Amino acid sequence: MPEIVVEGISKTLGGLLTLGEINVNAADKDFVGILGPSGCGKSTLFNIISGLMRPDQGCVFIDGHDVTGKTGRVSYMRQKDLLLPSLNILENVSIPLVLKGLPRKKACDQALEHFKQFGLAGFEKYYPRQLSGGMRQRAAMLRTYLFSSDILLLDEPFASLDAITKRKMQSWLIDVFNQINPTVMFITHDVDEALYLCDRIYVLSECPTVVKLEIKIPFCRPSHGRTIVDPVYGVIRDAVMEALAI
Amino acid sequence: MKKYINTADRIVPVVFILILLVLWEYLVKLKSIPDWILPGPLQIVRTLAENAPLIARHAQSTLLECLAGFIVAIVFSFVVAFLMDEIALFKNAVYPLIVASQTIPIISVAPLFIIWFGYGMLPKIIVVVLVCFFPIAISLLGGLAAVDSDYLELFRSMQAKRLHVFRMVKLPLAMPAFFSGLRISAAYSVMGAVIGEWLGAKQGLGTYMTLSQRSFQVDRVFAAILAVTVLSAALFALVSFIERIVIPWNRFTEK
Repeated sequence: MPEIVVEGISKTLGGLLTLGEINVNAADKDFVGILGPSGCGKSTLFNIISGLMRPDQGCVFIDGHDVTGKTGRVSYMRQKDLLLPSLNILENVSIPLVLKGLPRKKACDQALEHFKQFGLAGFEKYYPRQLSGGMRQRAAMLRTYLFSSDILLLDEPFASLDAITKRKMQSWLIDVFNQINPTVMFITHDVDEALYLCDRIYVLSECPTVVKLEIKIPFCRPSHGRTIVDPVYGVIRDAVMEALAI
Repeated sequence: MKKYINTADRIVPVVFILILLVLWEYLVKLKSIPDWILPGPLQIVRTLAENAPLIARHAQSTLLECLAGFIVAIVFSFVVAFLMDEIALFKNAVYPLIVASQTIPIISVAPLFIIWFGYGMLPKIIVVVLVCFFPIAISLLGGLAAVDSDYLELFRSMQAKRLHVFRMVKLPLAMPAFFSGLRISAAYSVMGAVIGEWLGAKQGLGTYMTLSQRSFQVDRVFAAILAVTVLSAALFALVSFIERIVIPWNRFTEK
């Protein structure tokens, strides 16, 4: 079962205690938000979960296996699309398959099957620099999905987009994820984005980062959009804002 | 409208050069300056036309030295830049040496190559390699080092092997920088070959230049200079052409 359990992670970076005793988890098909002020160590947490960085203390379990400091199990998408300007969208997206050892042609064929679902049909031969920020993030999302389809770490994937594109991308994300049903951890510093997308939210404090609040979001994802007028929404939003000390 | 502006942009430098040339010709005629001091542009073109087969033959060997030196410099820079990028120890050891080597005036060491390797093509090729190597290697190394570390982390999170990272990420992303170094070198390479030939050679534009100069045939010197200019510009254009083929994506600018 694709699930993430992070137990008692702490990390000191450059003499500064960045993460202090963090416990978070995401069950199968869970969409978990990690909400916190910028510079609070959210990305450090993801670097540790993805195995790029070793924690000073604590463990990361995925599917029940200890994967602390081991890369390769989860896919990790960042705010920057990190598409290679030298390759077209199709080639970019098939990179994880090529890295897994598939021949180039076969990797492209396999990636191509998902283009329609991810709203990229017709853009296969374009180079990243020819596309808008929103399209590039879609491509980056598909590349992330093709590396590991069941567990995705998304680190502020829409932070660099303008407000309208961002909103479009959020409902697009809900549509796509309702079809592929992955387990997701989603970093953001946008309260409404977290409330809109997530099933559950962890609110983190400033450095040294600890979990200040864990809160379940009672709306189910497909019927979102209008929840902002729901009185419960306001109550939850207030609680989150208070935890963030805004 | 845009098209009109573009044409105007192109016409302006051409007209300016024409004005300068006319002025030059006029002053030479007006002051009746003798040909062995300063020939006018018309005389230079006439000399070039009269001596075209001879100059072409000299240009051929200069071009050959350029291309040979250029290619060796490219291969050499790739090897050195790759090793420097992959092995920190190698970089620390070699980098200061390469930079320091640039402070040695090439004109002072070129005669040594003639003592060591004779009057053939080899010493000229070595000079071209020395002149071209530095800009190419430094720009390639700069390009490799400037690759956004987030790309490297992304590929590391996908368990990419070092070779994959180099081939898929570092090398392509370093190509624009590499080509700007290459264009500088292309222009320098002809100069390098000519310097090599000045000091002693059987063939080449540099030889032709020194011979003409010693017999006060200044028009021939200028004709040779013109040939050198054309050759440099042609190499520069060739590199730009290859760049367009190798990295077509670089023409698209970030949205």
